[in-house]
Amino acid sequence: MPVTEKEILAALSRIQDPDFHKDIVTLGFVDHIAVRDSKVGFEIVLPMPLFPVKEKMREEAAGIVKGLSGVSMVDVKMKSEVTGHAATDRAAIPGVKNIVAIGSGKGGVGKSTVSANLAVGLAKYGAKVGLVDGDIYGPTIPIMMGARTEELRQRDGRIIPIEAHGVKFMSMGFLATGNQPLIWRGPMAHKAVQESLLNVDWGPLDYLIVDMPPGTGDVHLTLVQTVALVGAVIVSTPQDVGLTISMKTFRMFEQTKVHPLGIIENMSYHICSHCGEREEIFGHGMVAQESERLKVPFLGEIPLDIAIRKYADQGMPIVIADPEAPSAKAYLEIIERLAAQISIRNYYSKPIQIIEEPEPNPKTFTV
Amino acid sequence: MTNVQHTRGTPAIIKKQGNKTLLITWEDGHVSPYSFRYLRQNCPCAGCIDEWTSAKTLNPGSIPLDLEGLKVEPVGGYGLSFSFSDQHATGIYHFDYLREICPCELCRKR
Repeated sequence: MPVTEKEILAALSRIQDPDFHKDIVTLGFVDHIAVRDSKVGFEIVLPMPLFPVKEKMREEAAGIVKGLSGVSMVDVKMKSEVTGHAATDRAAIPGVKNIVAIGSGKGGVGKSTVSANLAVGLAKYGAKVGLVDGDIYGPTIPIMMGARTEELRQRDGRIIPIEAHGVKFMSMGFLATGNQPLIWRGPMAHKAVQESLLNVDWGPLDYLIVDMPPGTGDVHLTLVQTVALVGAVIVSTPQDVGLTISMKTFRMFEQTKVHPLGIIENMSYHICSHCGEREEIFGHGMVAQESERLKVPFLGEIPLDIAIRKYADQGMPIVIADPEAPSAKAYLEIIERLAAQISIRNYYSKPIQIIEEPEPNPKTFTV
Repeated sequence: MTNVQHTRGTPAIIKKQGNKTLLITWEDGHVSPYSFRYLRQNCPCAGCIDEWTSAKTLNPGSIPLDLEGLKVEPVGGYGLSFSFSDQHATGIYHFDYLREICPCELCRKR
């Protein structure tokens, strides 16, 4: 007797998703089950990019179904359909599923390097990714993406983002001409944020990463008022002084109901390029401790690695320049956890409906 | 993961009924009925509230009885803004604030 769809689903419900801590049938990941005699095929549709680690799930699913009586062959297709955030039913940027802010308490923690690597890394695993350099006062993303001199082109009055390493990006630095320093006050900063977010022809995106200026200010306020973010990530160094300030940035996001997706510890330790020894220059463990206290996910730690800086200066984020480097592997783990946190957030958050009923017209005219 | 405080200040359905009434159904099931005049009287913008003392500088009696709400817009993921018939539209009403000023009888007694 051929196996039934019900039996297949029952078997697959024994597989737990490691991020959601629920089984993949309850989560609705299993789709398109087809049975022909003793041959079974189905899809597992994940709400995040297909990271290499997901191969385990495919193998496990194939193995479990193969073990059912009446099954001789199993074909499992892994698919990715990144889920989108629905804070309200009116999206500010149509076609953009998830807007993620990357913030920090103070400058110099490597936020832009982290943002560039997260964006390029997500794209590497098949996601459609955009990156906004929101640091109006010190835009560095164009350098890290290897496209510092290009001029912006427009189509129908909208900015065409620049593409590099599979990522579409836009820098607020492009809006200022020449080598003039920016001395922008609130209203100008406000306009620049809106211009580089809303007036860009992004096309469909799974993730739009926004690299924020350090601290809390005009750009942050405009961002949280202009779009509904799926959440924010804070980049911190292990030093407590950096951390205390980072927490203020978290508070600001909290006050504007932006979900904390997690904390990344950057410059976590130094790997000596001569002997390979690990040195904890700024101390260790503070960020993980603090994130536990705050009940905010700890996304991981990135070492101080001269290669990260070297490749960044050459316009090649380390995740693609040297994917086998320990620091690139650290990035990959963080990217996986971040994508998981975003999909979990989307799974549990409900959209806010806004309904507008017109004013009832009491007067009707009959002639 | 969701605590009480969080669902209290999270709307599920925001309904503008004509130009006089706004109904918010919150995630915890509570329903807040606002008149747009009441919302205008409680505008939290810097022109209606003293930014340092938080004291109201707007005279609530100066708002005409027939004031209407023309438009409701979301502000990011944390609040709403309204365009009123007196041309005023600068207030950002944080969801927590809207819940705090809920005019229903139950909340007013508290």
